[in-house]
Parts: sequence; C-alpha cells; structure tokens
Amino acid sequence: MVELARANPLIGTGTRKVRWGRLVSRTVIYAALTAGGLAMIFPFLWMLSTSFQSAGALLVPPPQLIPSPIELGNYAEIASAFPLWRFLANSLGVAAVATTLQVATSAMAGYAFARLRFRGRDALFLLYIATLMVPLQVTILPLFVEMKYLGLVDSYGALVLPSIASAFGTFLLRQAFLGLPRELEEAAFMDGAGHLTVFRRIVLPLAMPAIATLAVFSFVASWNSFLWPLIIVNSPDLMTLPVGLSNLQGRYATAWNLLMAGSTVAVVPILIVYVIGQKYVIRGVTLSGLKG
Amino acid sequence: MRPVSRALAAIAATAIVVGACSGATSSPSASAEASPSGGAPSPSAPAEPVTLTYFTFSAAPDHLADLDAIVQAFEQKYPNISIEVQTAAYTDYFTKLQTQVASGSAPDTFELNYENSVAYASSGALLDLTPLAAADTDFDASVYYPKAYEVFQADGRQFGVPEQFSDVLLFYNKDLFDAADVDYPDASWTWEDERAAAEQLTDAANGVWGHYQPIQFFEFYKVLAQNGGSFFSADGTKSTFNDAKGVEAANWLIGKLDKTMPSDAFGPDQDSALFKSGKLAMWHTGIWLFPALADVPFAWDVSVEPGNVRKAHHFFANAVVASATTAHPEEAWAWLRFLTSSEEAVTVRVNASWELAAVADQSLFEPYLSQTPPDNREAVFDALADIVTPPVIEQQSQMQDIVSQALEKARLGQLSVEEALNEAAAQVDALLQ
Repeated sequence: MVELARANPLIGTGTRKVRWGRLVSRTVIYAALTAGGLAMIFPFLWMLSTSFQSAGALLVPPPQLIPSPIELGNYAEIASAFPLWRFLANSLGVAAVATTLQVATSAMAGYAFARLRFRGRDALFLLYIATLMVPLQVTILPLFVEMKYLGLVDSYGALVLPSIASAFGTFLLRQAFLGLPRELEEAAFMDGAGHLTVFRRIVLPLAMPAIATLAVFSFVASWNSFLWPLIIVNSPDLMTLPVGLSNLQGRYATAWNLLMAGSTVAVVPILIVYVIGQKYVIRGVTLSGLKG
Repeated sequence: MRPVSRALAAIAATAIVVGACSGATSSPSASAEASPSGGAPSPSAPAEPVTLTYFTFSAAPDHLADLDAIVQAFEQKYPNISIEVQTAAYTDYFTKLQTQVASGSAPDTFELNYENSVAYASSGALLDLTPLAAADTDFDASVYYPKAYEVFQADGRQFGVPEQFSDVLLFYNKDLFDAADVDYPDASWTWEDERAAAEQLTDAANGVWGHYQPIQFFEFYKVLAQNGGSFFSADGTKSTFNDAKGVEAANWLIGKLDKTMPSDAFGPDQDSALFKSGKLAMWHTGIWLFPALADVPFAWDVSVEPGNVRKAHHFFANAVVASATTAHPEEAWAWLRFLTSSEEAVTVRVNASWELAAVADQSLFEPYLSQTPPDNREAVFDALADIVTPPVIEQQSQMQDIVSQALEKARLGQLSVEEALNEAAAQVDALLQ
C-alpha cells in the first residue's frame, strides 16, 4: 500500500482533492440549509419574543428581538382575562375526535377502493378525488345550510362532522394499501379469513406508517382550521383556539403581546405532534405528493 | 358471505363519497325562506320570554364588559327579553355574517358599518324599521344626530339606527412644534399651511417626520372632497375622480412621500409607533386613538383637518340593524333603540371612551369633553359641520381595491398619477355597468 502510494503520488493528492471538494460542497449546502432554517424559524422567534414584551416596549423602534425587561405577565393575563384553557380543551377535543374518525373512515374507504372489485369503482374513486379540487370556501354555504337542517349550528357536532370523511385521507391510504403484497392477504383468504379479518389483522398493521402519517396531517389540519369553526360556532364556550384568539384583535388596535402569548400556547401542542410524527409527515409528502 | 361483505364495503364507500360531495352541491331551499316578514309587526304577547341574538364586531376584546352593562340595563327594563351577544373580530365578522344571512339564519340584530349597510339594505336582508318607529309613540328621531340618522335611509325606508360614529382629525405633537418654533394647526389651515409646517418640522437627521396620512381609498375620497371634487357624476353613473381635481388630490397624498412623510411600506401600526415615540409631528388619524395616546410622554392635541377648496371630514358611522328574518321585530326594535339612544347606553359608552353614541344631546358628552388630552376635544364635534360619507356601490370592496391599487401604483412610480387614476376610473365604470 505504502509502495503503491510512493510509486503513484497522484493517488494521495487525488483523494485530497476529492475531500476538499466534498468539504466545500458540504459547507455550501449547510450554509444554505442554515440560512433557510433561520428564515423559517425567525417568525416563531419573533412571536415568542413579542409574547414576553410589555405593551409599551413593543412600540419603541427599532424592534427588539430579545425583550428587556422580560414580561411574564402576558401569559398570566391571557389565562385569566380570557377562557384560554377552555379554547385549548375544545381544540384538543375536536382535533382528537376528528382525527380518529377521519382515519377510520379513510382506512375503510381506502381498503374498499384498493381491494374490492365493484362496478364503477375507478370512476367513483376519481369523482371522490376530484372533490380535492373544490376549496372549502366554495362549499361553506351549502355546508352551513346542511348543518342548519341537521340542527347542529353552534355545536361540537358541527365542528367535527365535516372533517370525518376526507378525500385526501382515502387517497393516501388507498395508495398505501395498493403497495402491500397481495400474497399475504391471499394466504389469509385461503385460511378462511373474510375481508374484515384481513383488513383488521393484515392490512391495518402493515399500513401503520401511512396511518400515522394521516393521523398527523389530520390533527394539524383540524388544529389550524379557522374558517369553518369561525362560521359555525357562536358561543364562546364552543370556540376553538384560533377563533378565540382572533377575538383578541380589536378593530383599531391589537394587544400584540397578548395575542402572541396566546399564539405561542396554540403552537406548543402542534410542535409536540410534529416532533413525534416528523418522519411520518415527510413520508406522507413523498408518498402522496400532497401537503395535507 | 364474501359477496355480501364486498357489497357492504362498497355501500360504505359510496356513502362516504356522497356525504363529502353533498357539501359541494348548492341547496336551493336556502333562499326560499329568506324573507317571511314584510315589516308588519307580528302581534306578540309582551310577557312571553324572548331571546334575541346580537352579533357585534365593536365589542371584543376591550368593551365586552361595557356591552354587558348595557345588556343588563336593557334586560332590567324589559324583563321578558334577553339578549344573547355574539362577537367576532372586525376582519372576520363579515365572512361569518354573510354566511349566516345567505343561509337564512341571520342573527336577530347585528352591527353594520355604513358601506356594508347600503349593500345589505339593497339586498333585502334588513328589516324595514319605519313602521316600528312610527308605531313607537314615545320615540322621536331627533334624539339622534340628524345626519347620522339620515344616512341609514334608502328609498324612504329606515333600515338601521346609528349606533356610534367617529371621525378623523389632525393630531399633532406640541413639543415638536414648540421645538421647531412653528404655530399650532388651527381651523383656518389649508393644505398649503400643512405643507409649509411639515417642511419646517421634518428633521431627517433625527428621524423626525413632518406628517403622515395613509395613501388609500378612504383618504382619497376625503381629500378629493377637500379639493372640491366628487367621486361620481351627479347621477352616479360615471367616475369623475380622475379629473383635474382628483389628480391634484392624489398628488397631495403622494407628493409628500419621502419628503415630509415617511414611506408607508413599513408595516401595520407603524404610524402609531412613530407618533407615540415622538418622531411624527402631524398625523391624520381617527379619534378612536385618544385612549391609546393618553400616556405618551409629550404634549399633543388635535385640530380639525386642513382643507383646500373646502373642508371635509370623514364620518365613520356604524348602524345596528334587524334581520328581515327575525321572528321578533318589536323586541328587536326595542333593543336597537335602547342600545343606541338610551341614556344608560350613551353614558356607558362615554365613560368607557367606546366611540361616541350618535345622539344629538350634547350634554351627555360632558364627561367625554372634559377629558384631556387632547385639550381641543371640541374638534371631534366641530368636524361634523362638514362631513363626507364614502361613495358606495354594490361591488364596494372591488371598487375600494381598484382605487387603493391605483394609488399604490402611483406611489411606487409604476404609473403616473393621471394614468393610474384613469385606469382605475375605467375599471370602476365597468363595475357600474
């Protein structure tokens, strides 16, 4: 080895060149990623910083990123002057129920579309997927009227009901089920299992990553949902966090420090969900090509 | 067994699809029950308990307790009626209201700003209050400031009662005027006086600016009026805001930029921050900021706004209205009347600095007028001598966007002021067709 290197001095310099090249390209990549990361996190840092500023300090130009003095009273004030915990509980409850039901219906529908054969299946599936192109804003009025006739305006039911079936979820899980080896299911059928057993004992456990992905997406979507809860709910007791927080905005002036303290509280649960479900989120995007 | 479960699963899948799709199909039955009551008050036993909903944007977050006080006073006077308050932030309010009105489940009573009140009235969504007011023997319309009551009439029908008003004045930092040895603004000022003072007051080295006035639709129609122009032709069929007077008015707004007025591309509330930090000498803004400026560490006051050919002041008024679909028109009228003109309600508002009730009896405003700063609070009422209301058409928000965008283009120098206004006028004329 030593002899070889002595005989051919180019080998050593060659690897060095490669190493240099890699180092430079790594540096560029990391620099770009760091810059991107900082740009992404900056609004969050600003939110956090604003939530610790006093109302007066906010108005002194130039804006200070590090608050001095640090004002902890905003959190106390928002928790006492404002039913923050109630809103938080509503948001958590609605998101949990909506996510559970959406995952259940999406899995069943996804299985039907992936494995059952019936007349017009693909046309039906296409029609269903097409509803992804209709934005909420368009359907909101008929949806409201529907809720009115169901007698559900201003109720938890109305908050949850529209999100229990999801074309996106059905699509995501159908794709995941299609990727599973059919042989396993066929073996189970040979042993006398029905569709329900195959679905419960074979397909669901194998598709857990996809299901977790959907659960994360659906939770985040429900948590962030604003327009529908705004319109369907009137009583403060039923308001979710985003709607409750929006009431902190005055017509002419807004106490930004309080609003940001509330927003920080609102971001924490979603942050936890993201940290736990990070890999599923990435998988979901690569699997479906859609972002929730 | 297998075909059965397969069929079941297929049905389940179909049901889900249908459930999701039904959201997309429009329901024609929504409009069918839109207006059952034609204004004739239905006879209702007074003792029967009635709950009225009241949807408001002006209460949250700062005046919920004040509204509560008014509601309690009302419920004491009318024990059979209870008021259920619903609130939303101003930015989201109309999204929600529109859905409720369109689906036939509008709140019994609600709040509207002037521009929207015209659109809602012409769509037939509002209850005609004229017969109710006529039947109410101890009601006298002169309790309201006359102009404020009149602006909520259309085609001889009273569709709302004025709840509150505010206007825009010239706020000024006395300390900066003293330091620069410039005379304070007064009622005799014109644009030229403001320009001259602003030039003296601007101190680029210390980051002090002479004045600030937003460049947007609402300022534009006002300075247009100050310049003797009009937004539409007399018959309302054509834009006239792009004539010579309009160009001069837009130039007055835009010409100050970066000379004596800071560029306004620096974010919301920054004008407020600039004034509060003592770096802005004159500021065209609304009287709703009085409470926010109570504690600033310098002396300030207000004056009526300088005019050019004539004086013109904003008149921002909110009305409270009743829905055409309410089942309790008489109770709704009682509530609207109490909310806007009862001494209890007016007093609560005045004491809370919660805008101003639009009532004519000036003595009720004594506690408001005696508060300082500003010393010259009288200007709030002086300004009412020459008020202008915004031009209103059916596609209000589109028109406002068009005009604001034209001003933006002129401000950025993408188009000359003339070109921008001509383009906007052509677009607005197309809306009028």
